[in-house]
Amino acid sequence: MSAGLTRLWERLPLKKHAAQSRIRVFSNQDQPEIEDDEEFRVLSLRTVKQQFQRRQQVRRDPITPPRTTRMAVDQDWTAVWPGPRSFHPASVPLPLRQGFTERGAAAPSKFANAELMKIPNFLHLTPPAIRQQCEAIKRFCTPWPKGLETEAKWQRHFPIEVTTTDYCQSLPTIRNPEARKVTVSLKLSDLRFDSHSRDKFLRLVGDRYNKETDILTIVTDRCPQKKQNYDYALYLLTACYHESFVTEPWEETKSEADMEEYLFERNQSKISAEGILNWNAKEGAPKESPSKSYANSVEQLINEGENEYNLGKYKEEVKKMLNIV
Amino acid sequence: MKMIRNRFGNLSRVSAQLQRHVQQMSTNAAAAPEEGAVINEFRTAVTNPGEHSALQVAKFYTIPAEQKKQIFAGGGLPKQYEQQIKTFTEACLMVRNPALELLQYIKATDLTKPVVRYVLYGENGTGKTLSMAHVLHYGALNDFLLVHVPWAPNWMKRPKEASNAAGQEGMIDLPFDAAAWLVHFKAQNSQLLQRLQLKTSKEYVWSKRESTPAGSSLIELVEHGIARIKYASETTAALIAELKQLSTAGQCKVMVAIDGFNAFFHPVTRIFSDNKQLVTPDRITLTQPFLDITNYDWTNGVCILSVDKIAMTEGHMDSHMPRYLLGQEGFEHLDPFVPVLVENYTDKEFHSYINYYLDRHWINKTPQGFEEQLKFMSNKNPYSLMQLVRAL
Repeated sequence: MSAGLTRLWERLPLKKHAAQSRIRVFSNQDQPEIEDDEEFRVLSLRTVKQQFQRRQQVRRDPITPPRTTRMAVDQDWTAVWPGPRSFHPASVPLPLRQGFTERGAAAPSKFANAELMKIPNFLHLTPPAIRQQCEAIKRFCTPWPKGLETEAKWQRHFPIEVTTTDYCQSLPTIRNPEARKVTVSLKLSDLRFDSHSRDKFLRLVGDRYNKETDILTIVTDRCPQKKQNYDYALYLLTACYHESFVTEPWEETKSEADMEEYLFERNQSKISAEGILNWNAKEGAPKESPSKSYANSVEQLINEGENEYNLGKYKEEVKKMLNIV
Repeated sequence: MKMIRNRFGNLSRVSAQLQRHVQQMSTNAAAAPEEGAVINEFRTAVTNPGEHSALQVAKFYTIPAEQKKQIFAGGGLPKQYEQQIKTFTEACLMVRNPALELLQYIKATDLTKPVVRYVLYGENGTGKTLSMAHVLHYGALNDFLLVHVPWAPNWMKRPKEASNAAGQEGMIDLPFDAAAWLVHFKAQNSQLLQRLQLKTSKEYVWSKRESTPAGSSLIELVEHGIARIKYASETTAALIAELKQLSTAGQCKVMVAIDGFNAFFHPVTRIFSDNKQLVTPDRITLTQPFLDITNYDWTNGVCILSVDKIAMTEGHMDSHMPRYLLGQEGFEHLDPFVPVLVENYTDKEFHSYINYYLDRHWINKTPQGFEEQLKFMSNKNPYSLMQLVRAL
């Protein structure tokens, strides 16, 4: 179809010219035809986009010089840098340099220096700033209570330590779910126990007790409110403490094999040692009992396990008790 | 000279052909001390263990053949050491600290007090048995009746025969082992028993027709046990009960020496009952008498016990410490006891032992630094050293 049309077009050269010239008349009315004669016109069947379009220039504001150049020497620095913020070169009037370059060259300057922005700075915590803030909050402070001057004193009066956290955040809600957590800690030596209740209490609290530091820590977060969690923590502490003094009937069935540690007092060793010491003793004569140090050495041997030191100590104590030289 | 005479005495019991051969050797070996008329620096002429002191540490003393035969004929020296004694034609023991310590304790013991239990412990092959042998020699020379079990685990691990005990339900008898022990007891103590004239305190009825009347001598009791193997276990129990009574009454002194004592408390044995159930040591009739005599409820005696890793079975040999080896039950039975550690050789002892081997021509080649090499290879462990220099 198109081939037939082209052929027809070629056969009619005159008509084609007339049509073109007519178009030009309508479209380029006010432009003088300069190139008409010089350049061979190209037949363009499709409208081709203009090939060389000039890229649009982005308009930029001229760079203002850094603010540091306009800073007065006696300016109020706390106003320039009021809070924690990552480093900004134009605000800090210091010729800082940071970073690594090739050997011999100076370290990169502070402008566009990621190294300086990465590290935390304390430009908001200058001594005048701290002084200023302390002055500001001074009017909210009350005098330090008398009689609580030293740490030992206030720890005696306030053995329980309660730790909570408040969160400040820029969210539609001011609530933070973490804020409900309450941590209550105290030294176990502040509570009074007998041996049974202490043992039972430690079993009840489980791994909340740190043996090395003697500190019991209760963390509660199961209630929605901080106040509720605090009450619950104190309830737990109270309940465990009082429960530990209760002796259940089944606790009587605890046998020697169930004991967590060896005690000389309730073992065969004591009977043997007494038997030897009171050998051929008269009826009614005061009973001689084995020495404390011997009992300790046996307990140490069994509880800590055998080693040359414990066994040597045991040997010395036995020799002392049996009068062997 | 005495030493040489003893050696000849010993040899007279060997077959004639061997005698001629070895005699030649021993006369050659004996030539050296005769010439110098001085004893080697690693030997001591003090053959009475009662006179040994720190002066004799790391020196060898010779047990006279007569006494060796009397004390150790039924065991008591390790087998390989026995072989070495035979090869060297003299029973030499090194005076070492653990034995000296024990001797010192025993000499200072107040015999009116309940018996003191001494427990020898140490790594494998450090010389627990030989320390015990040294003390046994002392006991034999100082009128102690020896109640000596050469190696208790033998009863639990390789008994000759196990049969149901007649009297007690569910108990197992080891008649041959009990009889062998009675023979051993008789060999060790027959002279002393004849001298002391100890009598039984009550009548023992073995069966309808057999009985040992009260007032018969202990030798008769022992001999009955040996002759009537069926009743050997019961005889052993009776004998030990009698010994406890007699010594508490002050008629004799008793030295109890049990090697591998922890076997009595180790629940794994190789004895099986009729219904193929494993028999624990407390169900063996021999166990109870020896536990009784290691209890503290009698006087006029000493107990020397040794605990040994080898007395245990696989999987229970992690430590050589007495509490581990005895277990809770055993510890409670013995507590309070005096643990005595037997360690590897000191440098002095090691040097002395090498000298002894050189003297016996047991080490022939002495290249530069061979002693250092042996020291490092054996870690100064007596048994390792013996293994390193042994014959092929």
